[in-house]
Amino acid sequence: MSTWLTILAMGAVTFATRALPLLAPWRQPPPFLERVLRYMPPAIFAALIAPPILMPSGGWVEAGLTLWAGLVGAVVAWRTRSMALTVVVGLGTYGLLRALVGS
Amino acid sequence: MATNAKLATAAIGPSAGAGAGPRAAQLLEWAAFRDGFLATVPLWLYIAPFGLAFALAGRAAGLTAAETIAMSVLVNAGASQFAAIALFAGGGDALSIALATLVVNLRHIPFAVSLAPLLTHLSWVRRAVLAFSLSDPSYALSVQKLQERAPGGAAFFLGSGISLYVSWVLCTTAGVLFGGGIPDPRSLGLHLVFPLSLMALLVPLLQSRAAWVAVLVAGGLALGASLVLPGSWSVLAAAAGGSVAGALVEARR
Repeated sequence: MSTWLTILAMGAVTFATRALPLLAPWRQPPPFLERVLRYMPPAIFAALIAPPILMPSGGWVEAGLTLWAGLVGAVVAWRTRSMALTVVVGLGTYGLLRALVGS
Repeated sequence: MATNAKLATAAIGPSAGAGAGPRAAQLLEWAAFRDGFLATVPLWLYIAPFGLAFALAGRAAGLTAAETIAMSVLVNAGASQFAAIALFAGGGDALSIALATLVVNLRHIPFAVSLAPLLTHLSWVRRAVLAFSLSDPSYALSVQKLQERAPGGAAFFLGSGISLYVSWVLCTTAGVLFGGGIPDPRSLGLHLVFPLSLMALLVPLLQSRAAWVAVLVAGGLALGASLVLPGSWSVLAAAAGGSVAGALVEARR
């Protein structure tokens, strides 16, 4: 039940970010706020990527399989700009290393 | 007839073109909607792996099939849905997940702000429908037509947005249907689908020193904060710190 409420809240919040500026009279935001908004997406992406890649077991930073898979994924993302290839090659790297290390 | 044309122009706005009767204006709008829908179909190829990956990540995080599909139907915002899935997997509460959704989708505000003056001639119902269908690609494909006030620009924009919405929901559903038989997501490394998908979204954004600073500060803060702050709050704190750092670097130049 709380999952459904969460999804409904997500829908409402998302719609608000798209609709309020279109429906309400809106002044240009102050320049600094505009800049902060511009760096919001890369910042939150990085905040979501770093822990599972660098702290896979939640304890402390470790240079493990997930780090190598993440580095390979970053190179593929940089060279190809393809989400599909990034995910497939990154997962492949993880699987391969796992099989080699045997953990 | 002249009165009708005036009424139609008043109802649909300057984009309908002067001198067109109501029926002609309607046909023009429909044609523009269809053009926008079809012009966006090639982007389905870009949506497809994203939708499939989202479905897999959703199931891996413990959401039911219905919940995973409903999220695409009701939210229609890929990046924030991936963020929410990561938080669901970590046992995040409703408030923090809604806040994270808000933070990721704050980027829509500049899009919508830039479009607002071009759409004031539309009724608020139409503007609300356009708002729901607004996405990065539909904005990118339509903004020029809208800024030139080309005939049917708003209908084209809507067609493009609806096209992406349809493909997003279809691909999520396909992922749920075909990804159901996966035995142990973690042993296959499927918990990495989400960070790897985000990597593909993040790397193209690294165009400036300020963006690098935002990313490095946010990543570092996220690692440190995850040791002290509960659940997804560490992500929000890190995102706030990183984006302010990026803005400060940009402001100094």
